[in-house]
Amino acid sequence: MVGLSLGEQCFIEGGIAQDLRCDGRRRLTYRPIHVETGVIPQANGSARVRIGATEVIVSVKAELGKPSLMQPDKGNVSIYIDCSSTAEPAFEGRGADWLSADLSNALQRCLLGAKSGAGAGIDRSSLVVIEGKICWDLYIDGLVISSDGNLLDALGAAIKAALSNTGIPKVQIAAGASSDEQPEVDVSDEEFMQFDTSGVPVIITLTKIGKHYIVDATPEEESQMSSAVSISINRQGHVCGVTKRGGVGIDPTVILQMVSAAKHVSEQLINKLDSEIASAEAEDES
Amino acid sequence: MRQIRAEIGAVSKADGSAIFEMGNTKVIAAVYGPREVQNRSQQMSDQTLVRCEYSMANFSTGDRMRKPKGGDRRSTEISLVIRQTMEACILTHLMPRSQIDIYVQVLQADGGTRSACINAATLAFADAGIPMRDLVTSCSAGYLHSTPLGI
Repeated sequence: MVGLSLGEQCFIEGGIAQDLRCDGRRRLTYRPIHVETGVIPQANGSARVRIGATEVIVSVKAELGKPSLMQPDKGNVSIYIDCSSTAEPAFEGRGADWLSADLSNALQRCLLGAKSGAGAGIDRSSLVVIEGKICWDLYIDGLVISSDGNLLDALGAAIKAALSNTGIPKVQIAAGASSDEQPEVDVSDEEFMQFDTSGVPVIITLTKIGKHYIVDATPEEESQMSSAVSISINRQGHVCGVTKRGGVGIDPTVILQMVSAAKHVSEQLINKLDSEIASAEAEDES
Repeated sequence: MRQIRAEIGAVSKADGSAIFEMGNTKVIAAVYGPREVQNRSQQMSDQTLVRCEYSMANFSTGDRMRKPKGGDRRSTEISLVIRQTMEACILTHLMPRSQIDIYVQVLQADGGTRSACINAATLAFADAGIPMRDLVTSCSAGYLHSTPLGI
């Protein structure tokens, strides 16, 4: 927990009003972002992302399963976040349950869209093997190792990087199976299909302090927030999901301003992430 | 013995931290302390209270596992083993009425996680500057066809 004196609180709020934060950043500037891919060899895809001192690891595992009856032409994706006690002593035991659930739900809302699958950032139709019978189940597991503010953005970036790194094995379907039986499938060990991540959105969290909003808040800044809005935006500039946290109400016009600010920031963030992911993959291969 | 890699100071927020790799087994340890005791009833007037939590990440083993946090018997047992080991080697009488927390997280499990955890914990304590009698190291050993092996 962060304890701030009254003087420090005024300093943070006053600085933000003048577009100057405690570490010298401007309101809409991110801390340095580092991406490493392929950190978990036994997973289908993985990534480790560091924004400032916040560090998260995401792994993607693919297993064969059955598609749901409501959507036989789509695979299943589940996102589960765990906050390790190494990040914060308060996360020991069940201490981080509420935060983990909060983050998992926010990410599911931002990336997976509605229950019907409409508006999802991740294309689940590419995961189906045999419609109605066999599909890929993607398990996206995130682990927060070090928490220094802005966990949601870091997890969103890590999921995007891990999905870029994910290879789904090619599946050969045994011919001649009748439509009633469970067909035999041969999962290839050699050939992999790269997951298409061009539609995966990034998440931008805008934290409102006083009259202004900032991006990539540190824990000190987060403790002073009145409310925070997390918006997920894809490459085309479309909003894929919105989550609001914090007890103070926001005027609807302010939310629209925040969305357009997030769109503006998202272009730079997506470009930065893509170049980091590309260089991480290149390093991984060498 | 498999190839060993270690890195100190991985978690900047912690007082001390380390990542320890032994072959494909990868473990991260973070130490918070000495700090004020959270639970006054456990405070000891002549020495420090050492607490440990061991947990495995969902993706650490080959098959993805959904573990119950804090309720797993194996985790509780290993937490106890690490705590007793470190308690024996720290100079606890130098820090009375305080608490030291050591959190160990397994990122990749490929055998010998217990030893990797103890080694990571030692490095994390050294990084935190906590006074110890000596560095504790650990290694698992086993027999294969009556030949002793180090893991």
